[in-house]
Amino acid sequence: MTEYDYDIGIIGGGPAGSTAAAYLRKAGLTVGVFEGARFPREHVGESLVPATTPVLVETGAMPKVDAANFPKKYGAAWTSAESRNISHNGFQNLTHDFRAAEIQFNERDQSGVDRDYTFHVDRGTFDKILLDHAASLGAEVFEETRVLGVEFPEPNTALLQVRNDGGTRQVRTRMVVDASGRQTMLGNQLKFKVSDPVFNQYAVHTWFKGLDRKALAVQEGQTDYIFIHFLPLTDTWVWQIPITEDITSIGVVTQKARFQDWKDDREAFFWDCVASRPDLLDELKNAERVRDFKTEGDYSYAMKQVAGDSFVLIGDAARFVDPIFSSGVSVALNSARLACADIVDAFHANDFSHARFNRFESTLRRAVNSWYEFISIYYRLNVLFTAFVQDPRYRLDVLKMLQGDVYDDQEPAALAAMREIVTAVENDPSHLWHKYLGELKAPTAAASF
Amino acid sequence: MSDEVFDRIESFVRERFLDDSEDQTLTATSPLLEWGILTSMNTAILLTYIRETFGVTVPPMSITSGNFRDLQSISTMVRDLLPAAQPA
Repeated sequence: MTEYDYDIGIIGGGPAGSTAAAYLRKAGLTVGVFEGARFPREHVGESLVPATTPVLVETGAMPKVDAANFPKKYGAAWTSAESRNISHNGFQNLTHDFRAAEIQFNERDQSGVDRDYTFHVDRGTFDKILLDHAASLGAEVFEETRVLGVEFPEPNTALLQVRNDGGTRQVRTRMVVDASGRQTMLGNQLKFKVSDPVFNQYAVHTWFKGLDRKALAVQEGQTDYIFIHFLPLTDTWVWQIPITEDITSIGVVTQKARFQDWKDDREAFFWDCVASRPDLLDELKNAERVRDFKTEGDYSYAMKQVAGDSFVLIGDAARFVDPIFSSGVSVALNSARLACADIVDAFHANDFSHARFNRFESTLRRAVNSWYEFISIYYRLNVLFTAFVQDPRYRLDVLKMLQGDVYDDQEPAALAAMREIVTAVENDPSHLWHKYLGELKAPTAAASF
Repeated sequence: MSDEVFDRIESFVRERFLDDSEDQTLTATSPLLEWGILTSMNTAILLTYIRETFGVTVPPMSITSGNFRDLQSISTMVRDLLPAAQPA
Protein backbone atom coordinates (compact mmCIF):
# COMPACT_ATOMS: atom_id res chain seq x y z
CA MET A 1 0.00 0.00 0.00
CA THR A 2 1.54 3.34 -1.01
CA GLU A 3 -0.42 5.66 1.14
CA TYR A 4 2.07 8.52 0.93
CA ASP A 5 3.73 9.99 -2.13
CA TYR A 6 6.68 10.99 0.10
CA ASP A 7 7.39 10.78 3.78
CA ILE A 8 8.25 14.47 3.82
CA GLY A 9 7.25 17.31 1.49
CA ILE A 10 9.58 20.31 1.36
CA ILE A 11 8.41 23.70 0.14
CA GLY A 12 11.34 25.49 -1.48
CA GLY A 13 14.70 24.31 -2.83
CA GLY A 14 16.94 27.04 -1.39
CA PRO A 15 19.67 26.24 1.15
CA ALA A 16 17.18 25.42 3.94
CA GLY A 17 15.06 23.10 1.82
CA SER A 18 17.90 21.33 0.05
CA THR A 19 19.80 20.85 3.32
CA ALA A 20 16.72 19.39 5.00
CA ALA A 21 16.26 17.11 1.98
CA ALA A 22 19.86 15.92 2.28
CA TYR A 23 19.58 15.14 6.01
CA LEU A 24 16.30 13.30 5.55
CA ARG A 25 17.56 11.27 2.62
CA LYS A 26 20.64 10.28 4.56
CA ALA A 27 18.29 8.99 7.28
CA GLY A 28 16.39 6.96 4.70
CA LEU A 29 13.18 8.99 4.43
CA THR A 30 11.57 9.71 1.06
CA VAL A 31 11.49 13.38 0.14
CA GLY A 32 9.78 15.57 -2.46
CA VAL A 33 11.17 19.11 -2.93
CA PHE A 34 8.94 21.68 -4.67
CA GLU A 35 10.76 24.76 -5.94
CA GLY A 36 9.00 27.60 -7.74
CA ALA A 37 12.03 28.78 -9.73
CA ARG A 38 14.34 27.08 -12.21
CA PHE A 39 17.90 27.00 -10.79
CA PRO A 40 20.27 28.73 -11.03
CA ARG A 41 18.49 31.92 -10.06
CA GLU A 42 19.78 35.14 -8.44
CA HIS A 43 19.42 35.55 -4.70
CA VAL A 44 20.55 38.02 -2.08
CA GLY A 45 22.49 36.82 1.00
CA GLU A 46 25.89 36.03 -0.39
CA SER A 47 28.19 35.96 2.59
CA LEU A 48 28.33 32.94 4.90
CA VAL A 49 29.48 32.46 8.49
CA PRO A 50 31.51 29.48 9.77
CA ALA A 51 28.50 27.84 11.46
CA THR A 52 27.56 26.65 7.96
CA THR A 53 30.67 24.45 7.82
CA PRO A 54 29.62 21.57 10.12
CA VAL A 55 26.29 21.30 8.29
CA LEU A 56 27.84 21.24 4.82
CA VAL A 57 30.28 18.60 6.04
CA GLU A 58 27.51 16.48 7.57
CA THR A 59 25.28 16.55 4.51
CA GLY A 60 28.26 15.71 2.31
CA ALA A 61 27.87 18.85 0.20
CA MET A 62 31.19 20.37 1.29
CA PRO A 63 33.44 18.74 -1.35
CA LYS A 64 31.15 20.14 -4.07
CA VAL A 65 31.13 23.58 -2.47
CA ASP A 66 34.92 23.42 -2.17
CA ALA A 67 35.23 22.50 -5.83
CA ALA A 68 33.31 25.62 -6.88
CA ASN A 69 36.23 27.82 -5.75
CA PHE A 70 34.13 30.49 -4.09
CA PRO A 71 36.16 33.30 -2.51
CA LYS A 72 37.29 32.28 0.95
CA LYS A 73 36.06 34.45 3.79
CA TYR A 74 38.54 34.62 6.67
CA GLY A 75 36.98 37.44 8.59
CA ALA A 76 34.90 40.56 8.71
CA ALA A 77 35.73 44.24 9.01
CA TRP A 78 33.71 47.28 9.86
CA THR A 79 34.67 50.75 8.74
CA SER A 80 33.10 54.10 9.35
CA ALA A 81 33.15 57.50 7.82
CA GLU A 82 36.22 58.73 9.64
CA SER A 83 38.50 55.74 9.40
CA ARG A 84 40.39 56.97 6.37
CA ASN A 85 40.73 60.51 7.63
CA ILE A 86 42.47 59.11 10.64
CA SER A 87 45.26 57.67 8.57
CA HIS A 88 45.45 60.92 6.57
CA ASN A 89 46.07 62.72 9.81
CA GLY A 90 49.01 60.51 10.51
CA PHE A 91 47.36 58.16 13.01
CA GLN A 92 48.02 54.98 11.06
CA ASN A 93 47.74 52.68 14.02
CA LEU A 94 44.25 53.67 14.90
CA THR A 95 42.28 50.87 13.44
CA HIS A 96 41.67 50.12 17.09
CA ASP A 97 39.51 53.08 17.85
CA PHE A 98 35.74 53.10 17.99
CA ARG A 99 35.30 53.60 14.28
CA ALA A 100 36.75 50.44 12.90
CA ALA A 101 36.89 46.82 13.93
CA GLU A 102 37.87 43.57 12.39
CA ILE A 103 37.79 39.94 13.38
CA GLN A 104 39.33 36.80 12.00
CA PHE A 105 37.30 33.64 12.41
CA ASN A 106 40.27 31.49 13.43
CA GLU A 107 40.78 33.51 16.61
CA ARG A 108 38.25 31.23 18.22
CA ASP A 109 37.94 27.44 17.87
CA GLN A 110 34.47 26.38 16.87
CA SER A 111 33.10 22.89 17.32
CA GLY A 112 32.84 21.00 14.05
CA VAL A 113 34.61 23.71 12.05
CA ASP A 114 37.69 22.25 10.39
CA ARG A 115 39.01 25.33 8.58
CA ASP A 116 39.91 28.99 9.08
CA TYR A 117 37.44 30.29 6.55
CA THR A 118 33.94 30.17 5.22
CA PHE A 119 32.79 31.46 1.83
CA HIS A 120 31.29 34.34 -0.09
CA VAL A 121 29.07 32.81 -2.73
CA ASP A 122 27.19 33.57 -5.90
CA ARG A 123 23.88 32.27 -4.59
CA GLY A 124 22.79 31.19 -8.05
CA THR A 125 25.68 28.71 -8.17
CA PHE A 126 25.74 27.83 -4.47
CA ASP A 127 22.03 27.10 -4.15
CA LYS A 128 22.12 24.94 -7.28
CA ILE A 129 25.01 22.91 -5.88
CA LEU A 130 23.03 22.18 -2.72
CA LEU A 131 19.83 21.34 -4.59
CA ASP A 132 21.66 19.05 -7.01
CA HIS A 133 23.34 17.44 -4.02
CA ALA A 134 19.95 16.71 -2.44
CA ALA A 135 18.80 15.18 -5.75
CA SER A 136 21.97 13.06 -5.91
CA LEU A 137 21.02 11.63 -2.50
CA GLY A 138 17.66 10.60 -3.88
CA ALA A 139 15.39 13.54 -3.11
CA GLU A 140 12.85 14.09 -5.88
CA VAL A 141 13.19 17.72 -6.93
CA PHE A 142 10.47 19.52 -8.88
CA GLU A 143 11.54 22.92 -10.18
CA GLU A 144 9.12 25.51 -11.55
CA THR A 145 6.57 23.90 -9.28
CA ARG A 146 4.69 25.98 -6.71
CA VAL A 147 3.00 24.88 -3.55
CA LEU A 148 -0.32 26.71 -3.38
CA GLY A 149 -1.42 25.50 0.02
CA VAL A 150 -1.19 22.69 2.54
CA GLU A 151 -4.04 20.85 4.24
CA PHE A 152 -3.78 18.83 7.43
CA PRO A 153 -6.85 16.58 7.24
CA GLU A 154 -5.76 14.03 9.87
CA PRO A 155 -2.78 13.24 12.16
CA ASN A 156 0.50 12.43 10.40
CA THR A 157 -0.73 13.82 7.11
CA ALA A 158 0.04 16.93 5.12
CA LEU A 159 -1.54 17.33 1.69
CA LEU A 160 0.34 19.71 -0.59
CA GLN A 161 -1.50 21.39 -3.41
CA VAL A 162 1.19 21.84 -6.10
CA ARG A 163 1.05 23.46 -9.50
CA ASN A 164 3.34 23.47 -12.53
CA ASP A 165 2.91 23.78 -16.30
CA GLY A 166 1.19 20.41 -16.32
CA GLY A 167 -1.54 21.59 -13.96
CA THR A 168 -2.42 21.18 -10.31
CA ARG A 169 -2.12 18.03 -8.27
CA GLN A 170 -2.21 16.90 -4.70
CA VAL A 171 0.83 15.37 -2.98
CA ARG A 172 0.31 13.28 0.12
CA THR A 173 3.04 13.37 2.81
CA ARG A 174 3.43 12.61 6.50
CA MET A 175 4.55 16.14 7.21
CA VAL A 176 5.67 19.30 5.47
CA VAL A 177 8.79 21.41 5.91
CA ASP A 178 8.25 25.03 4.92
CA ALA A 179 11.52 26.34 3.48
CA SER A 180 9.83 28.85 1.21
CA GLY A 181 12.10 31.67 2.31
CA ARG A 182 10.72 35.17 2.58
CA GLN A 183 7.58 34.08 0.76
CA THR A 184 6.68 32.47 4.12
CA MET A 185 4.15 30.17 2.49
CA LEU A 186 2.81 28.39 5.59
CA GLY A 187 3.30 31.40 7.85
CA ASN A 188 0.93 33.33 5.61
CA GLN A 189 -1.55 30.51 5.22
CA LEU A 190 -1.72 29.82 8.95
CA LYS A 191 -1.54 33.54 9.83
CA PHE A 192 1.51 33.11 12.05
CA LYS A 193 3.44 36.01 10.58
CA VAL A 194 3.99 39.20 12.57
CA SER A 195 5.94 42.18 11.32
CA ASP A 196 8.86 43.15 13.47
CA PRO A 197 7.90 46.09 15.70
CA VAL A 198 11.37 47.62 15.54
CA PHE A 199 13.16 46.82 12.33
CA ASN A 200 11.86 48.24 9.10
CA GLN A 201 15.03 48.31 7.07
CA TYR A 202 15.35 48.29 3.32
CA ALA A 203 18.13 47.15 1.01
CA VAL A 204 19.19 48.21 -2.50
CA HIS A 205 21.94 46.08 -4.02
CA THR A 206 23.82 45.21 -7.18
CA TRP A 207 27.10 43.79 -8.50
CA PHE A 208 30.13 45.79 -9.63
CA LYS A 209 33.00 44.62 -11.80
CA GLY A 210 36.54 45.83 -11.28
CA LEU A 211 36.06 47.47 -7.88
CA ASP A 212 39.42 48.08 -6.21
CA ARG A 213 38.76 46.23 -2.97
CA LYS A 214 42.30 46.96 -1.77
CA ALA A 215 41.61 50.67 -1.73
CA LEU A 216 38.79 50.14 0.74
CA ALA A 217 40.48 47.66 3.05
CA VAL A 218 41.45 48.78 6.53
CA GLN A 219 44.57 46.67 6.42
CA GLU A 220 46.40 44.75 3.77
CA GLY A 221 45.42 41.14 3.32
CA GLN A 222 41.78 41.77 4.11
CA THR A 223 40.47 42.29 0.60
CA ASP A 224 38.45 39.08 0.79
CA TYR A 225 36.80 39.95 4.11
CA ILE A 226 33.25 41.09 4.12
CA PHE A 227 33.27 44.83 4.71
CA ILE A 228 30.53 46.64 6.52
CA HIS A 229 30.92 50.33 5.75
CA PHE A 230 28.95 52.53 8.07
CA LEU A 231 27.58 55.66 6.47
CA PRO A 232 27.18 58.91 8.37
CA LEU A 233 23.41 58.47 8.07
CA THR A 234 21.39 57.02 10.92
CA ASP A 235 21.05 53.21 10.83
CA THR A 236 22.55 53.05 7.34
CA TRP A 237 25.40 50.85 6.13
CA VAL A 238 26.84 49.27 3.02
CA TRP A 239 27.89 45.67 2.47
CA GLN A 240 30.87 44.83 0.29
CA ILE A 241 31.09 41.13 -0.55
CA PRO A 242 33.61 39.60 -2.98
CA ILE A 243 31.80 37.28 -5.40
CA THR A 244 34.65 36.48 -7.77
CA GLU A 245 38.13 37.82 -8.40
CA ASP A 246 36.65 40.94 -10.03
CA ILE A 247 32.93 40.97 -9.12
CA THR A 248 31.86 42.60 -5.86
CA SER A 249 28.36 42.68 -4.40
CA ILE A 250 27.45 46.07 -2.95
CA GLY A 251 24.27 46.75 -1.01
CA VAL A 252 22.93 49.73 0.91
CA VAL A 253 20.79 48.95 3.95
CA THR A 254 18.80 51.81 5.43
CA GLN A 255 15.54 52.79 7.08
CA LYS A 256 12.64 52.17 4.75
CA ALA A 257 11.34 55.70 5.30
CA ARG A 258 14.58 57.12 3.94
CA PHE A 259 14.17 55.15 0.73
CA GLN A 260 10.57 56.23 0.36
CA ASP A 261 11.76 59.84 0.37
CA TRP A 262 13.30 59.03 -3.00
CA LYS A 263 10.00 58.03 -4.51
CA ASP A 264 11.36 54.59 -5.23
CA ASP A 265 14.16 55.80 -7.53
CA ARG A 266 16.53 53.06 -6.45
CA GLU A 267 19.49 54.16 -8.56
CA ALA A 268 19.44 57.78 -7.42
CA PHE A 269 18.93 56.65 -3.86
CA PHE A 270 21.85 54.23 -4.00
CA TRP A 271 24.29 56.83 -5.31
CA ASP A 272 23.11 59.48 -2.89
CA CYS A 273 23.70 57.19 0.08
CA VAL A 274 27.10 56.12 -1.19
CA ALA A 275 28.09 59.74 -1.78
CA SER A 276 28.07 60.25 1.99
CA ARG A 277 31.30 58.22 1.96
CA PRO A 278 33.43 59.94 -0.70
CA ASP A 279 36.13 57.24 -0.51
CA LEU A 280 33.56 54.58 -1.33
CA LEU A 281 31.93 56.71 -4.00
CA ASP A 282 35.26 57.25 -5.78
CA GLU A 283 36.00 53.55 -5.95
CA LEU A 284 32.50 52.60 -7.10
CA LYS A 285 32.51 55.27 -9.80
CA ASN A 286 35.63 53.66 -11.21
CA ALA A 287 33.97 50.26 -11.36
CA GLU A 288 31.37 48.96 -13.78
CA ARG A 289 27.91 47.98 -12.60
CA VAL A 290 27.00 44.61 -14.10
CA ARG A 291 23.58 43.90 -12.60
CA ASP A 292 20.39 45.91 -12.25
CA PHE A 293 19.64 47.40 -8.87
CA LYS A 294 17.46 45.10 -6.83
CA THR A 295 15.58 45.93 -3.67
CA GLU A 296 14.59 43.98 -0.59
CA GLY A 297 12.03 45.22 1.92
CA ASP A 298 9.60 44.07 4.61
CA TYR A 299 12.00 41.33 5.56
CA SER A 300 11.96 41.76 9.32
CA TYR A 301 9.31 39.51 10.76
CA ALA A 302 8.69 36.75 13.25
CA MET A 303 6.33 33.78 13.42
CA LYS A 304 3.98 33.07 16.29
CA GLN A 305 4.67 29.36 15.76
CA VAL A 306 7.52 27.59 13.97
CA ALA A 307 6.18 24.06 14.38
CA GLY A 308 2.88 22.26 14.81
CA ASP A 309 1.19 18.97 13.96
CA SER A 310 2.89 17.75 10.78
CA PHE A 311 4.79 20.93 9.97
CA VAL A 312 7.92 22.90 10.76
CA LEU A 313 9.17 26.23 9.40
CA ILE A 314 12.89 26.61 8.75
CA GLY A 315 15.29 29.27 7.40
CA ASP A 316 13.83 32.59 6.33
CA ALA A 317 10.38 30.99 6.33
CA ALA A 318 10.70 30.90 10.13
CA ARG A 319 12.34 34.23 10.79
CA PHE A 320 14.43 36.96 9.30
CA VAL A 321 15.64 40.02 11.15
CA ASP A 322 18.40 41.87 9.36
CA PRO A 323 21.36 41.10 7.09
CA ILE A 324 23.98 42.85 9.26
CA PHE A 325 25.80 39.73 10.50
CA SER A 326 25.48 37.52 7.39
CA SER A 327 23.36 35.03 9.30
CA GLY A 328 20.78 34.09 6.63
CA VAL A 329 22.33 30.98 5.08
CA SER A 330 23.61 29.82 8.47
CA VAL A 331 20.15 30.02 10.02
CA ALA A 332 18.79 28.17 6.98
CA LEU A 333 21.31 25.34 7.29
CA ASN A 334 21.25 25.04 11.05
CA SER A 335 17.48 25.22 11.41
CA ALA A 336 17.30 22.46 8.78
CA ARG A 337 19.81 20.43 10.80
CA LEU A 338 17.89 20.90 14.06
CA ALA A 339 14.48 20.27 12.54
CA CYS A 340 15.60 17.12 10.76
CA ALA A 341 16.89 15.53 13.97
CA ASP A 342 13.36 15.83 15.37
CA ILE A 343 11.72 14.80 12.09
CA VAL A 344 13.76 11.60 11.88
CA ASP A 345 12.81 10.73 15.48
CA ALA A 346 9.17 11.52 14.70
CA PHE A 347 9.34 9.25 11.69
CA HIS A 348 10.61 6.33 13.74
CA ALA A 349 7.91 6.92 16.35
CA ASN A 350 5.36 7.36 13.56
CA ASP A 351 4.15 10.43 15.40
CA PHE A 352 4.41 13.86 13.76
CA SER A 353 2.50 15.78 16.40
CA HIS A 354 3.67 19.20 17.58
CA ALA A 355 5.37 17.95 20.77
CA ARG A 356 7.82 15.97 18.63
CA PHE A 357 9.43 19.23 17.50
CA ASN A 358 9.94 20.78 20.93
CA ARG A 359 13.69 20.37 20.83
CA PHE A 360 13.91 22.17 17.49
CA GLU A 361 11.61 24.92 18.71
CA SER A 362 13.39 25.60 21.98
CA THR A 363 16.85 25.59 20.40
CA LEU A 364 15.77 27.88 17.60
CA ARG A 365 14.02 30.18 20.06
CA ARG A 366 17.17 30.57 22.14
CA ALA A 367 19.33 31.16 19.09
CA VAL A 368 16.92 33.65 17.58
CA ASN A 369 16.66 35.55 20.85
CA SER A 370 20.43 35.90 21.09
CA TRP A 371 20.69 36.98 17.47
CA TYR A 372 17.85 39.40 17.73
CA GLU A 373 19.23 41.09 20.80
CA PHE A 374 22.73 41.24 19.34
CA ILE A 375 21.41 42.90 16.19
CA SER A 376 19.23 45.29 18.19
CA ILE A 377 22.17 46.36 20.32
CA TYR A 378 24.32 46.79 17.24
CA TYR A 379 21.86 49.25 15.75
CA ARG A 380 21.10 50.89 19.06
CA LEU A 381 24.68 51.64 20.06
CA ASN A 382 27.16 50.92 17.34
CA VAL A 383 30.21 52.12 19.26
CA LEU A 384 29.48 49.50 21.90
CA PHE A 385 29.82 46.71 19.38
CA THR A 386 33.18 48.08 18.27
CA ALA A 387 34.32 48.53 21.87
CA PHE A 388 33.35 44.95 22.73
CA VAL A 389 35.12 43.55 19.70
CA GLN A 390 38.27 45.31 20.88
CA ASP A 391 37.91 44.40 24.54
CA PRO A 392 39.84 41.21 25.31
CA ARG A 393 37.24 40.25 27.92
CA TYR A 394 34.44 40.09 25.39
CA ARG A 395 36.07 39.64 22.02
CA LEU A 396 35.74 35.85 21.80
CA ASP A 397 32.21 35.97 23.03
CA VAL A 398 31.25 38.47 20.33
CA LEU A 399 33.20 36.44 17.80
CA LYS A 400 31.19 33.36 18.79
CA MET A 401 28.04 35.17 17.71
CA LEU A 402 29.68 36.44 14.54
CA GLN A 403 30.65 32.85 13.72
CA GLY A 404 26.95 31.99 13.95
CA ASP A 405 27.70 29.64 16.85
CA VAL A 406 24.50 30.33 18.78
CA TYR A 407 22.82 26.94 19.07
CA ASP A 408 24.26 25.72 22.36
CA ASP A 409 22.48 26.17 25.63
CA GLN A 410 23.81 29.39 27.05
CA GLU A 411 23.22 33.04 26.45
CA PRO A 412 26.51 34.63 25.36
CA ALA A 413 27.95 36.47 28.36
CA ALA A 414 28.69 39.54 26.27
CA LEU A 415 24.99 40.04 25.63
CA ALA A 416 24.17 40.56 29.29
CA ALA A 417 27.04 43.02 29.62
CA MET A 418 26.01 44.87 26.48
CA ARG A 419 22.41 45.07 27.61
CA GLU A 420 23.49 46.58 30.92
CA ILE A 421 25.64 49.21 29.23
CA VAL A 422 22.97 50.18 26.71
CA THR A 423 20.55 50.78 29.57
CA ALA A 424 23.15 52.82 31.45
CA VAL A 425 23.93 54.94 28.38
CA GLU A 426 20.24 55.46 27.64
CA ASN A 427 19.68 56.66 31.19
CA ASP A 428 22.77 58.85 31.43
CA PRO A 429 22.78 61.88 29.13
CA SER A 430 26.28 62.67 30.42
CA HIS A 431 27.66 59.44 29.01
CA LEU A 432 29.91 60.27 26.08
CA TRP A 433 28.12 57.63 23.97
CA HIS A 434 24.63 58.97 24.63
CA LYS A 435 24.65 61.01 21.45
CA TYR A 436 25.50 57.94 19.40
CA LEU A 437 22.32 56.08 20.29
CA GLY A 438 20.59 54.91 17.11
CA GLU A 439 16.91 55.30 16.45
CA LEU A 440 15.96 51.62 16.49
CA LYS A 441 14.98 50.58 19.96
CA ALA A 442 13.77 47.11 20.82
CA PRO A 443 10.93 47.04 23.35
CA THR A 444 11.52 43.33 23.76
CA ALA A 445 13.93 40.85 22.30
CA ALA A 446 11.79 37.82 22.99
CA ALA A 447 10.82 35.47 20.19
CA SER A 448 7.08 35.20 19.91
CA PHE A 449 6.91 31.43 19.48
CA MET B 1 53.77 61.45 45.97
CA SER B 2 54.75 62.13 42.41
CA ASP B 3 51.77 61.50 40.19
CA GLU B 4 52.97 59.45 37.28
CA VAL B 5 49.48 58.78 36.02
CA PHE B 6 48.61 62.45 35.85
CA ASP B 7 51.94 63.40 34.28
CA ARG B 8 51.76 60.83 31.53
CA ILE B 9 48.17 61.61 30.62
CA GLU B 10 48.91 65.31 30.66
CA SER B 11 51.86 65.04 28.34
CA PHE B 12 49.94 62.71 26.02
CA VAL B 13 47.03 65.13 25.73
CA ARG B 14 49.43 68.03 25.30
CA GLU B 15 51.47 66.35 22.58
CA ARG B 16 48.70 64.67 20.64
CA PHE B 17 45.70 66.94 20.88
CA LEU B 18 46.90 70.51 21.44
CA ASP B 19 48.50 73.06 19.22
CA ASP B 20 51.14 75.43 20.57
CA SER B 21 48.81 78.23 21.68
CA GLU B 22 46.53 75.92 23.71
CA ASP B 23 49.60 74.21 25.08
CA GLN B 24 50.32 77.11 27.42
CA THR B 25 46.96 77.15 29.13
CA LEU B 26 46.32 73.46 29.84
CA THR B 27 45.83 72.79 33.53
CA ALA B 28 44.52 69.95 35.66
CA THR B 29 41.06 71.45 35.52
CA SER B 30 40.89 72.73 31.93
CA PRO B 31 37.47 71.59 30.66
CA LEU B 32 38.59 69.24 27.88
CA LEU B 33 35.12 68.33 26.65
CA GLU B 34 33.94 71.93 26.68
CA TRP B 35 37.01 73.04 24.81
CA GLY B 36 36.28 70.43 22.19
CA ILE B 37 39.65 68.77 22.72
CA LEU B 38 38.16 65.41 23.60
CA THR B 39 36.24 64.74 20.42
CA SER B 40 34.91 61.22 20.00
CA MET B 41 38.01 60.35 18.01
CA ASN B 42 40.39 61.79 20.57
CA THR B 43 38.52 60.08 23.38
CA ALA B 44 39.00 56.78 21.61
CA ILE B 45 42.69 57.53 21.10
CA LEU B 46 43.06 58.41 24.75
CA LEU B 47 41.32 55.20 25.85
CA THR B 48 43.71 53.20 23.71
CA TYR B 49 46.64 55.07 25.22
CA ILE B 50 45.38 54.38 28.73
CA ARG B 51 44.99 50.70 27.98
CA GLU B 52 48.43 50.39 26.46
CA THR B 53 50.25 52.54 28.99
CA PHE B 54 48.65 51.56 32.29
CA GLY B 55 47.27 48.15 31.33
CA VAL B 56 43.75 49.07 32.42
CA THR B 57 40.58 49.04 30.38
CA VAL B 58 38.16 51.82 31.19
CA PRO B 59 34.78 50.09 31.62
CA PRO B 60 32.23 51.35 29.10
CA MET B 61 30.00 52.45 31.98
CA SER B 62 32.68 54.90 33.05
CA ILE B 63 32.95 56.80 29.79
CA THR B 64 30.97 59.71 31.16
CA SER B 65 31.43 63.43 30.90
CA GLY B 66 32.14 63.47 34.63
CA ASN B 67 35.14 61.19 34.27
CA PHE B 68 36.44 62.88 31.13
CA ARG B 69 35.82 66.47 32.20
CA ASP B 70 39.47 67.35 32.76
CA LEU B 71 42.93 65.88 33.34
CA GLN B 72 42.29 65.58 37.05
CA SER B 73 39.11 63.53 36.69
CA ILE B 74 40.69 61.31 34.04
CA SER B 75 43.72 60.63 36.23
CA THR B 76 41.54 59.90 39.25
CA MET B 77 39.54 57.42 37.23
CA VAL B 78 42.66 55.68 35.93
CA ARG B 79 44.22 55.51 39.40
CA ASP B 80 41.05 53.91 40.73
CA LEU B 81 41.28 51.29 38.02
CA LEU B 82 44.88 50.38 38.76
CA PRO B 83 45.55 47.31 40.91
CA ALA B 84 46.14 48.17 44.59
CA ALA B 85 49.28 50.31 44.85
CA GLN B 86 52.57 48.72 45.84
CA PRO B 87 53.94 49.88 49.21
CA ALA B 88 56.43 52.69 48.66
